[in-house]
Amino acid sequence: MRAILHVDMDAFYASVEQRDRPELRGQPVIVGGHPRRGVVLAASYEVRPFGVRSAIPMARALKLAPTAVVVPPRFAAYAEASEQVFAILERYTPLIEPLSLDEAFLDVTASQALFGPPAEIATRLRREIAAEVRLPASAGIASSKFVAKIASDLAKPDGQREVPPEQTREFLAALPVSRLWGVGPKLEERLHRLGLRLVGDLASRDEGWLTARLGDLGAHLAALARGEDDRPVIPDRSSKSIGAEDTFEEDVADLEVLRPRLHAQALRVARRLRKAGLRTRVVQLKLKLEDFTLQTRRCTLERPTDDGQELYRHALALLERAPLPRPVRLTGVSAQELDEVGEAQLGLFGEPPRRSEALNRALDAIADRFGRGAVAPADVLSLEEGEPVDELRARAGASRLDLAAEPKRSPS
Amino acid sequence: MEFRIAAEELKRALYRAQGIVERKTTMPILSNVLVNATKSGVQITAFDLDVGIVSEHPAEVTKPGSLTLSAKTVFDIVQNLPEPQVTVRKLPNQYAELQSGSAHFKIVGMSPEEYPKLPKEESASLVSVPGPVLLEMIRKTAFAISTDETRYILNGVFFEPREGGKVRMVATDGHRLALVERELAGDFKLKGGVIIPRKGLHELRRLLDEAPDAECALGFAENSALFRKPGLTMVMRLIDGQFPEYQRVIPKEGERKVRIPRVRFIEALKRIALLSVDKSNAVKIGLTSNQLRISSQNPDLGEAKDDLDVHYDGGDITIGFNARYLTDVLSVLETDEVSFELGDDHSPGVVHAPGDRTYTAVVMPMRV
Repeated sequence: MRAILHVDMDAFYASVEQRDRPELRGQPVIVGGHPRRGVVLAASYEVRPFGVRSAIPMARALKLAPTAVVVPPRFAAYAEASEQVFAILERYTPLIEPLSLDEAFLDVTASQALFGPPAEIATRLRREIAAEVRLPASAGIASSKFVAKIASDLAKPDGQREVPPEQTREFLAALPVSRLWGVGPKLEERLHRLGLRLVGDLASRDEGWLTARLGDLGAHLAALARGEDDRPVIPDRSSKSIGAEDTFEEDVADLEVLRPRLHAQALRVARRLRKAGLRTRVVQLKLKLEDFTLQTRRCTLERPTDDGQELYRHALALLERAPLPRPVRLTGVSAQELDEVGEAQLGLFGEPPRRSEALNRALDAIADRFGRGAVAPADVLSLEEGEPVDELRARAGASRLDLAAEPKRSPS
Repeated sequence: MEFRIAAEELKRALYRAQGIVERKTTMPILSNVLVNATKSGVQITAFDLDVGIVSEHPAEVTKPGSLTLSAKTVFDIVQNLPEPQVTVRKLPNQYAELQSGSAHFKIVGMSPEEYPKLPKEESASLVSVPGPVLLEMIRKTAFAISTDETRYILNGVFFEPREGGKVRMVATDGHRLALVERELAGDFKLKGGVIIPRKGLHELRRLLDEAPDAECALGFAENSALFRKPGLTMVMRLIDGQFPEYQRVIPKEGERKVRIPRVRFIEALKRIALLSVDKSNAVKIGLTSNQLRISSQNPDLGEAKDDLDVHYDGGDITIGFNARYLTDVLSVLETDEVSFELGDDHSPGVVHAPGDRTYTAVVMPMRV
C-alpha cells in the first residue's frame, strides 16, 4: 500500500503578503493586478467568506468585498518561498511531483522507515514549513494521489487529514461527483442527469451500467469512485517531459505579446531541467487556439540542452515557422526527450563553448539565494513588473498568474 | 585463371580480409577480395576505400589471371574443406570454382576490373620499425581514440616524429588522452604529425599480433600510410585535419601525488563502479593522509566503498572519475605501482609509471 501526501500551501500569495506585512494579518487581502481589468491571483482566508476566490475578475471581487486590501503581486517573493518549501519537502523523499509553485505530491512509502507513519511526516513537514518559511500549509494523506488531494482540500486551512486505505470508499461516498478528477461542469451535469450526484452513487452502480452510458469514462469513474488510482508520483527526474504552459484570459493574436511569454516558459522549463539534472533533445511548442483546437510543433536539437535561452530560440522559431491561424488562448513550451546530464564528465579541450552553463550556474545560484525574480531577461521582467506593458498585460490577462506559477501538469 | 593453393594459406588471407571488407556496403564489390595469380604466386587484396591489405601467397599457378571472391563466403568454405589443398579456377561470367578432393563449389563473383585501385604508395619513404615497439605504442593509445563520428579528427591516433629519433603517438576522445613516446629511428619525411584512423590502426595491430617479431617498415605518402612486413602490404588513408594541441592539456606536475598498487587499484575501481549511476562508471576518489578511498552511490541501488593504503601526505581531496577511463590506462601499464597526480577537483588526473613519463595518460574528472 502506498503512502501519498498532497501538500498544498494555503492562499499562497496572500499568505506571503501577510507574512511580510504584519499590518495585513487578519485583514481580507486580495493579491491582484489592475482593479478594473485584472483578475484575482490569490485571496486570503479572511476575504473568502465574501465569495472572493482566485481567478475571478478584480472588478467583481471588489464589488463582493469593497473593504478588501488589494496588494500587487510580488512574484519573486512567491518563487523564493516556493523554493524554500520544496527544499523542506525534499528532506523527506526524492519522489516529489510538483503541481505548481505551491502544491506537490509526495510518495513517502519508503520514507516511513526513516520518518515514521505518513501522518507524522505530514505533521513534521507542516511544522517545519511554519517554522522556517512562516507560511501555513495543508496536507492530505492517502494511498492514492487523487484521494490525497481531496483530503488536503478538506483539511484547509492549516490542517491535515488522513484517509486510511480501508476508509477510502466511505470517505469518497459522501462527496459530490465534481470532486473526482476529470469531472468538470459539463460532465457533472451529465452525471446529474443520470442521477449520479455523489461519489457513492457512482460506486454503488454496476460498472457495466456505467460503461453502457458513459463508455470508457464510465469504467474510469467507477474505479475512481472505489478509490482506485494507481498513478505514480512522478518526480521531474524521471518524468518523460517537462513543460510549462499558460492559459491567457483573453486570446492573443499578436506575436509581440506571445514572445515574452514563451521566453518565460522556456526559462522555467530549463530551470526545472537543471534542477532535475536533465537535458532535452526535443523542444515542443503547444498552441491552443481560440476555437480550442490544439497545435503542436516540435524540433530536434543537435545536442541536448538545459539552457533556457536556447529553448526559447527554438520555441520562437517554432512559433514563427507558420502564421497563427487564429488567436491563441494557451501557449506551452516543453522539453520532450530527456537525457540525464551524462556530461558530468569534464572535457580536456574547453569543449565547443557552452558558456551558457557557467552563466546558468551563476543565475541559479542567484535565484536560489535571492529568488527567481532577482535576475531575469528584460522582456520577462517587464511581464512581471508590468511597467510599459499595461496594455499588453490587459490583453493577456490571467496569464500573469500562470507566468509565475510552476507549470501545471494535466491530470493524465 | 587457375591455381592450386594450401587451404590454410587461403584461410589466412581471408581471415585478414574479414576485418576490412564491408558487410553492408553500397559498393557490393567491396565485400569481395581481389585475387591476382601470377607466375610467382597469388596476391590477395582486401580494401574498403580507407584501409587495404595486399598479401602474397605461394601457389602453383597454372594459368595467370584475376578474379574476385566473396570474402565471407569463401572464408567459410575454406574452413570446411575435405583436403588440405584447393584448386581455384575462373569460369565464364565471373564464376569461380573451388575444388578440394571430391567437393566442388561454384561461386558467384564480380569483374576484377571493377575492383577499386589502392592509393599509390611508391613515393612513401619506408622506415624500418621494430614490431614490438609499434605494437606497444598502439596498445597504449588506441583505447583513448574517440568513437564519436562527429569528431572525426579524434577518430585516430596522432603519429608525430620528434627530435632524437623518437616518435610520439597520442590519442584522445576529448575526455582523456594517452601519449606514448618511443624510439623509432629513421626519417619519416613528415612535416609535423599525421592522424592514423582507428580502423587502420586496429588492422595494423592485428597484423603485428600475428608475428610481432617480423621485420616491419612504416612510411607515409601524400595522405596515406604504408605498412609492410614480409609478404604483406597495408595501406590506409590518413585522417585529413589538424589534431588538437595536445601538449596544452597535459599538466606539468600535479600538486598532489600518490603511488598506488596498480592491480589492487584496478580491482577496486571495477568493483566500486558496480554501483555507479546508470552505467556512467562514476566513482569518487577521496585522498586523505595515507589513504585512498574509492566510493560510489546510486540512489536506486545503494552505495559502495573500498579503502587502499597508500603513501600520501598532500591535502585532502575528493574527485570524481569515470572508473573505466582509469582502468583502461592502468591495464596497459606493466609496473607494480603507478603514479597518480591530481590538481584540484576540476583539473585532470595524470597517470604514469613511477619516474617515467614517456607514457602518460591524462583523465578529466567528473563532477560529483
